Amino acid sequence: MGMSKPRRIGTIAAAAISVLMLAACGGSGGSGGTTSGATGGKVDGTGKTLNVLMNVTAQYPQEQQAWFKEMSTKFKAETGADIQWETFATANDEMTRIQTSVVSGQGPDVYGLGTTFTPTAYSTGAFVKLGDNEWNQLGGKDKFVPAALGISGPDEANQIGIPFVSRPFVMAYNTELLAAAGIEKPATTWDEFTEHAKKLTTGDQYGVAVAYKDNFDPWKYIWGMSIQAGNPIIDGTEVRLDDPITKKAYETYFGWVTTDKVVDPSSVGWANPQALAAFAAGKAAYFPMTSPLSIPALDASAVKGKYKYALMPTVPPGETSNPSAGKPATSILSGDNLVVADYSKQKDLAFAFIKMITDKDVQLNYFKVFGQLPANQEAAKELATNEVIAPALESGAKSVATPFSGAWGDVQLSLTNVVVQSIPDLSSGAVSDSNLSQRLKDEQAKSQTALDRAKK
Amino acid sequence: MASSVTEPRPSDSSPAAGAAAEPGETTPPGKRRKGLSEKNRPLWLLIPGGLLMTIVILVPLAMGIWMSLIDLDQYTLRQWVSAEFIGIQNYIEAALSSELLRSIWLSVSFAVISTVVTIPLGVAAAVVTQNAYRGRAVVRSIFLIPYVLPSFVVASVWRTMLQPDGIVNVTLTNMGMDGGLWLNGPNAYWTLVWVEIWAAWPFIYLLALSGLQAVDHEVHEASALDGALWWNKLRYVIFPYLKGPVSLAFLLATLNHINNFTLPYVLFGAPAPSDVNVLPILVYVTSFQSFRFGLSAAMAVVSLILIAIPLFIYLRAVRLDVHEGGKK
Repeated sequence: MGMSKPRRIGTIAAAAISVLMLAACGGSGGSGGTTSGATGGKVDGTGKTLNVLMNVTAQYPQEQQAWFKEMSTKFKAETGADIQWETFATANDEMTRIQTSVVSGQGPDVYGLGTTFTPTAYSTGAFVKLGDNEWNQLGGKDKFVPAALGISGPDEANQIGIPFVSRPFVMAYNTELLAAAGIEKPATTWDEFTEHAKKLTTGDQYGVAVAYKDNFDPWKYIWGMSIQAGNPIIDGTEVRLDDPITKKAYETYFGWVTTDKVVDPSSVGWANPQALAAFAAGKAAYFPMTSPLSIPALDASAVKGKYKYALMPTVPPGETSNPSAGKPATSILSGDNLVVADYSKQKDLAFAFIKMITDKDVQLNYFKVFGQLPANQEAAKELATNEVIAPALESGAKSVATPFSGAWGDVQLSLTNVVVQSIPDLSSGAVSDSNLSQRLKDEQAKSQTALDRAKK
Repeated sequence: MASSVTEPRPSDSSPAAGAAAEPGETTPPGKRRKGLSEKNRPLWLLIPGGLLMTIVILVPLAMGIWMSLIDLDQYTLRQWVSAEFIGIQNYIEAALSSELLRSIWLSVSFAVISTVVTIPLGVAAAVVTQNAYRGRAVVRSIFLIPYVLPSFVVASVWRTMLQPDGIVNVTLTNMGMDGGLWLNGPNAYWTLVWVEIWAAWPFIYLLALSGLQAVDHEVHEASALDGALWWNKLRYVIFPYLKGPVSLAFLLATLNHINNFTLPYVLFGAPAPSDVNVLPILVYVTSFQSFRFGLSAAMAVVSLILIAIPLFIYLRAVRLDVHEGGKK
């Protein structure tokens, strides 16, 4: 048994390390940190460092670094505290960060979140719920565009997300092509939209540019047409993905390729930038599901000065007005929210920071540099006179939040998956009724399972 | 060849071997010598390595297995220590109501096909660049290009070329053929195999080349003296030398193919078309889009076991884990 001693030592060491690791990981959970309301008064952050995690703006990396620097200086002047900036590239990167931070109880104090990701973040229970005290620290709820608050929490009493910027969806249209086809105004119903698209399709010019292969676009169309006809997809404890309303939405969306032939057949392989490129080259008259972020690309293209934005149609396929249960949604509620981590030991500082970057001047400047619309009401009002982006601001005000459920991520995945699995059919020219029904049924089951877990 | 075996090898003069041959040590005849080296080996020297292995491999593995037994998702993540223990329910769900088994089949078949095709390619390339000739260095460098390109770049380039209106389809149309859809539908599987082969064959080439370079000069001379022509020489003299390196290459390449996440993810996106919903993509979507960490841990454990069984059999069959002379 000469070998047993070292082996035992090894075992004990390994066990000790495991225990230490577990303790390090699990030793948080509790709230901790100050929650004292420094209402109105100045927050003193001398010697402290605030850790902020934000979405990387791939389009403008240098401008973002400059903005970080500018904000750090401003924050230092206001509170005496420094800011440590971190960025993430995708929602998955961010979820990984949230997971590790939530489990270890340490990490960024402030997170920037995509709006549709807010319900998932909320379901982890790791972020500060905003009471009157917190809203006061931020400068009041009235400071924000009311619609932008639509996805801050499941209800008024349980909000975690503070609106930072808004990226509402609109459609771009080619003014020359529409005029040439004798169309005076962009379409306001989806049926009219399809009719226009047919008129606008000639030769190698198509009525619409659609990105069927995009990882996100497809579900936004389907959700939009569904909610306009009265199906919010998550309806209480039920998922209504196999509802006839939603099926009709898919049929319309697929019909542009298969029966109406108003889109480039290649678009079954396109992501959003490729659809944008087709529109920018003047090869498509309508480009739905875009945002003011496309301005720089369009202004540098063949359609400079020949395009405008308009609201996407708000009347569902097959109707001339919204049914009573339907909502004339112009867009999903899209943009970024800011949340404060529950484990943060400097919450006052975090709120002071968020107040600073949601103030009017900072928000207007942010729009100028990055093209993202302000969530600050006064700033938004000031921009409303800008003709190019006015439709986007209007879309933001009339956008409808996707259901606030931890299961939304799964539902979104299911809505997209129906399109992904239908692409071979789309490419061959027809999606059969039985195939579509079967896919809806499969995804309905998956989504319902996810929703059932959310309700536990 | 024989001379190299009978010559004293460097390892024979190691201290352990020397100690075993000490005259004072009595060993019963007929029995395998069990010298000092095996009795009082300083095993405690392994502690640093052992600790590292524990932290890097065993602890995460144990946590993975534990995660697969609890109901860990976005709702329980924060209180993960107290997440409900649900036994094998995750396993049942993974096996019965998820795509797991199909994904394993897709992954394994894709990996084996890719490896089986790349081996002859790699060996042929190694043979072609074995003898010195003008420009050999250039050829060798070109062969390595697919291997040094990051997977992400390879996948992005192929994705662009294989678009419905991409260069591949345009070329096929000009030749009077209908390209069709490469990145979705039944063709997608073969696209994945094709791109993987394109990117991975230089790995086999490298290992085969190292095998070829281990062939002693005398062997070439001896077979030339015996009058062996190129095929006989290759088949009966050179290939036996390659058995070890190529077996190892087969093993490593197959595992690499099974584990390749970047290629299918960048080529097809997530959610993936059902024909290419390979294991890494399935686990990724379950973990990071559905946030079912427990379920995805169960999937990972099941696939680990399913892959470990044939792996073990293969290891024994090609004796890669056995030293010369059959001693483990």
